[in-house]
Amino acid sequence: MDYDVLVIGSGISGMESAIKLGDMGYRVLMVEKEASIGGKMILLSKVFPTLDCASCISTPKMAAAIHHPKVTTMTYSEVETIRRVDGRFQAEIVKHPRFVDEAACTGCQQCETACTVSVPDQFNSDMVARHAAYIPFPQAVPKKAVLERAGTSPCTATCPAGVKAHGYVSLVRSGEYEKAFELVLQSTPLVGTLGRACFAPCESECSRGSLEGAVPIRRIKRFIADRHYQSKHSPGVILKAPKGQRIAIVGSGPAGITAAWHLARKGYPVTIFEAEAIAGGAPALTIPSYRLPSAVVAQDIDNLRQIGVDIRTGVRIDNVQTLSEQGFAAVLMAIGTTASVRLRVPGEDLEHVQSALAFLQAVKTGKRPSLLQMDVVVVGGGNVAIDSARSALRLGANSVRLVSLETRLDMPAFSWEIDEAVREGVELSNGWGIQSISEDGVELVRCTATLDAEGRFNPQYDPAVTQHVGGDRVIVAAGMKPDSESWQSEVMVKPNGRIMVDADTLKTSIPYVFATGDAVTGPSTIAEAAGAGVKAAAQIDEWLRKAPSRLSGEAKPPKVQRDAVLARQTHYAERLPVKADKALVFKPRDFAEIEPGLTEQEARYSSGRCLDCGVCSECQECIAACPADAIHLDRTDEHLATMVDSVILATGFKLFPADLKPQYGYGRYKNVITGMQMDRLLAPTRPYHTVLRPGDGKVPENIAYIMCTGSRDKTVGNPLCSKICCMYSNKQNQLIMGALPLADVSVYDIDMRTTGKGYEEFYLQTAEMGTNFVKGRVAEIVEKDDGNLIVRYEDIEHEGQIQESEHDLVVLAVGVQPNHDVERFFGPNLLGLDDYDYVNETDETMSPGKTNIPGVYVAGTAAGAKDIPESILHAGAAVAQAVAYIEGRRLHI
Amino acid sequence: MMPGRRDVREVIREEPLRRREIQTMLADGAKTIREISAQLGYPSEEILFWIMGMRKYGYVAEVPEVTEDGYYRYRNADREAF
Ligand SMILES: Cc1cc2nc3c(=O)[nH]c(=O)nc-3n(C[C@H](O)[C@H](O)[C@H](O)COP(=O)(O)OP(=O)(O)OC[C@H]3O[C@@H](n4cnc5c(N)ncnc54)[C@H](O)[C@@H]3O)c2cc1C
Ligand code: SF4
Ligand code: SF4
Ligand code: SF4
Repeated sequence: MDYDVLVIGSGISGMESAIKLGDMGYRVLMVEKEASIGGKMILLSKVFPTLDCASCISTPKMAAAIHHPKVTTMTYSEVETIRRVDGRFQAEIVKHPRFVDEAACTGCQQCETACTVSVPDQFNSDMVARHAAYIPFPQAVPKKAVLERAGTSPCTATCPAGVKAHGYVSLVRSGEYEKAFELVLQSTPLVGTLGRACFAPCESECSRGSLEGAVPIRRIKRFIADRHYQSKHSPGVILKAPKGQRIAIVGSGPAGITAAWHLARKGYPVTIFEAEAIAGGAPALTIPSYRLPSAVVAQDIDNLRQIGVDIRTGVRIDNVQTLSEQGFAAVLMAIGTTASVRLRVPGEDLEHVQSALAFLQAVKTGKRPSLLQMDVVVVGGGNVAIDSARSALRLGANSVRLVSLETRLDMPAFSWEIDEAVREGVELSNGWGIQSISEDGVELVRCTATLDAEGRFNPQYDPAVTQHVGGDRVIVAAGMKPDSESWQSEVMVKPNGRIMVDADTLKTSIPYVFATGDAVTGPSTIAEAAGAGVKAAAQIDEWLRKAPSRLSGEAKPPKVQRDAVLARQTHYAERLPVKADKALVFKPRDFAEIEPGLTEQEARYSSGRCLDCGVCSECQECIAACPADAIHLDRTDEHLATMVDSVILATGFKLFPADLKPQYGYGRYKNVITGMQMDRLLAPTRPYHTVLRPGDGKVPENIAYIMCTGSRDKTVGNPLCSKICCMYSNKQNQLIMGALPLADVSVYDIDMRTTGKGYEEFYLQTAEMGTNFVKGRVAEIVEKDDGNLIVRYEDIEHEGQIQESEHDLVVLAVGVQPNHDVERFFGPNLLGLDDYDYVNETDETMSPGKTNIPGVYVAGTAAGAKDIPESILHAGAAVAQAVAYIEGRRLHI
Repeated sequence: MMPGRRDVREVIREEPLRRREIQTMLADGAKTIREISAQLGYPSEEILFWIMGMRKYGYVAEVPEVTEDGYYRYRNADREAF
């Protein structure tokens, strides 16, 4: 791409520069970082001294710029660097994604209306909400929606199953419980199962964790699942009759089920073969009911049946051939880790010794052995051992001792699970290995280390230290591995039983046989296995259709950093997490669920604690609402480079942050606002329906203006006059008197600066209309209980006496400041700045607009405070300089 | 900011959470920001943020007449909050 001039900024100066250059036949690229062109002028009410409506005179300029055949406009884009290359300039530009297809978007705003995330509207000076999906303002050019995404929210980025955690949290906050359920279903049908038994890695990453505690993301999921299943027995997903190639899935655990869910939704006829009598894998067969009731898993599994997946239980598949003979085009092995690792110690085959998996499965599937009055020894330090020990207590055991190689701190089980087990009465013997098992218990040997120097599992023992622990029952939880022996003649299997696959395609050694889940990775978690199921479904779909699969997931923006999230607010009100309140008793004797669900009120409150880390929550409401199918969340930044002959800097100014004058109380007092906020209140596209004070919506009756806030003030480092505040205050005074005829307006000023054509007359007219101009320096403002404000000022006309007066709204006539954005384009110290950090004009008197870099010009307030007519004039000067430079160079070449 | 006055971002973020509460309360008649604040127990400036956000997205609307002490009243509009 190649242009004559790059114009940075599209306020009135930038637009004017671009249009003039375009009219002269030059090719212009105008780059604007906001989603609309127009700068600050389009947000004003009217302009002084003519009182023309600002948007009426801005919009034709905006239209002329965007439609100009010689002007290319890039919005939502930023210039990153500008370098001189062969006498020209090379600009690197990043175009941020709007996530909205501009060609398709009609600007109907339905996405914005449907969006579930509210943030302050920067185009209304933060006085009202806008949504994460938004159209900047009614006259925006282009009038296209944009989705504000700061990155992927930590919870969503962390979920191994790909669940859009932030999305369902924001839907619950809006009371859209069923939509929240549907959003989880987009990733996996295991909504209720994950809502109870997921280890919730999302919560460890939750930004609210840095404040009072994480958002209970998992329990909110349980709430939406319970709520759904209370009234509905179908997932609400409607599918066309399946067609195409048939797919067999072996194993109905989270991996197999989730893969089946996605493939069936893609239209494939899917059959699941499950060896056991009950479908659901470990969640249905082994995870104890006090954590995960069987009915919950059954409800989740039923979602699959409802969409037509054929689940055949009690059918064990031992080889691939059987399936290919039945005409399946692809096979997925999701056989989990259903075999137990043996201890290899004497006595392991005695009758009173049982594997944890067999024990838990018997318990969960209703064949509960009685352990009444028995002393039980559980071997192992992981979560399965803990589940076994706690189940044994519930079966009436007299005592349950858990023996593990590791110290308590190093046990692989989650520390909260260990704590709960201990509270229920499980005793721990840490740092012991098993030497042998006998009829009356186990012989322990001291374990001195579990890992070797390379960090591999290789326990070391001290045979001199031994101990006998008595026990009537021994349950061994020494690890799990896939039951893959019978498959070894067909697919390649590792010595530990895990199936070998290509890490990218999940293909085994047979082209149409894929494997996934714990069968490949070894024991993991429900969420990880579900994520593995999604990946397998994508790979199978891709392989069958010989085309990229949409199931592969969309490109995601990088995870947003917690510090960046927390820095968005100056302070946080305390919102304590809802207590976990698990019903833990000593020696529980039944399998009743120990964790209560959240009530509706608790779920709403908890979702209200979410910080909207990524801003957009990916709830997908906008996508559903958009009639033009214009929204695509998978877009990423585009980087481009362009060559130009000349650059015009029109990056404008920043407003003085009024909280830097703490004595005026901005940000603390409810009814102290800035001049820009008053302009918004007076504009036709205002945040409220009329001029109201923000503290309580009262129509103000007695308004004060404090002039020179942040200007002509060495205490804030700005001795300059901002030139515009006197006149915009006069303009606002006249407009207020039109809008609120009964209101009194007082202006506290040192002097009025009215240095333009017709300005002095305008000021006199303001005074004639009734504005009370007080020569006074305001020392401080104090807020009263009713929200009114006491203004204390030095009365210049009465020998500096301190006076007080009461107002119901105070407007701070804030001044302008340089925009430091401009400094980074050219690298450190290359662009000359003046003493006040505005872009320096090297010859302001004779060559306005000229900077210290030949070919680079400055237009408008980037060079210092100016009003609109002056900015336009200045832009004309910069354009003339740029043209002279370009033509001069061309003549020389 | 002063303790007691919450960060604007935080107040605005909560608007979806408050919609139903506010609409339920307005079901028995239009009310001013101060009246809503008194009944629900949230600060009036926060109610103003929520009402104006709800107004923007179609949940409430203002009644055209101003009360004697200079306040507008707000009523439920067509869109229903969950
Ligand atoms: C006691 C216990 C507690 C756990 N607690 C949690 C928890 O709270 N949270 C968590 O996130 N994770 C937990 N896990 C881990 C989690 O359950 C697993 O990571 C997950 O179930 C693995 O899913 P999968 O589909 O790969 O395998 P599985 O769930 O093991 O499913 C495999 C299925 O394939 C069937 N199958 C095997 N071979 C054949 C064959 N030849 N023919 C037909 N069918 C066959 C099996 O019967 C089984 O139903 C726990 C695991 C256990 C054992
Ligand atoms: S995905 Fe949800 S939160 Fe994000 S912009 Fe769309 S509606 Fe708003
Ligand atoms: S604060 Fe909200 S968006 Fe951020 S990680 Fe927690 S739940 Fe997710
Ligand atoms: S709903 Fe679609 S067409 Fe309408 S504004 Fe949003 S993106 Fe554009």
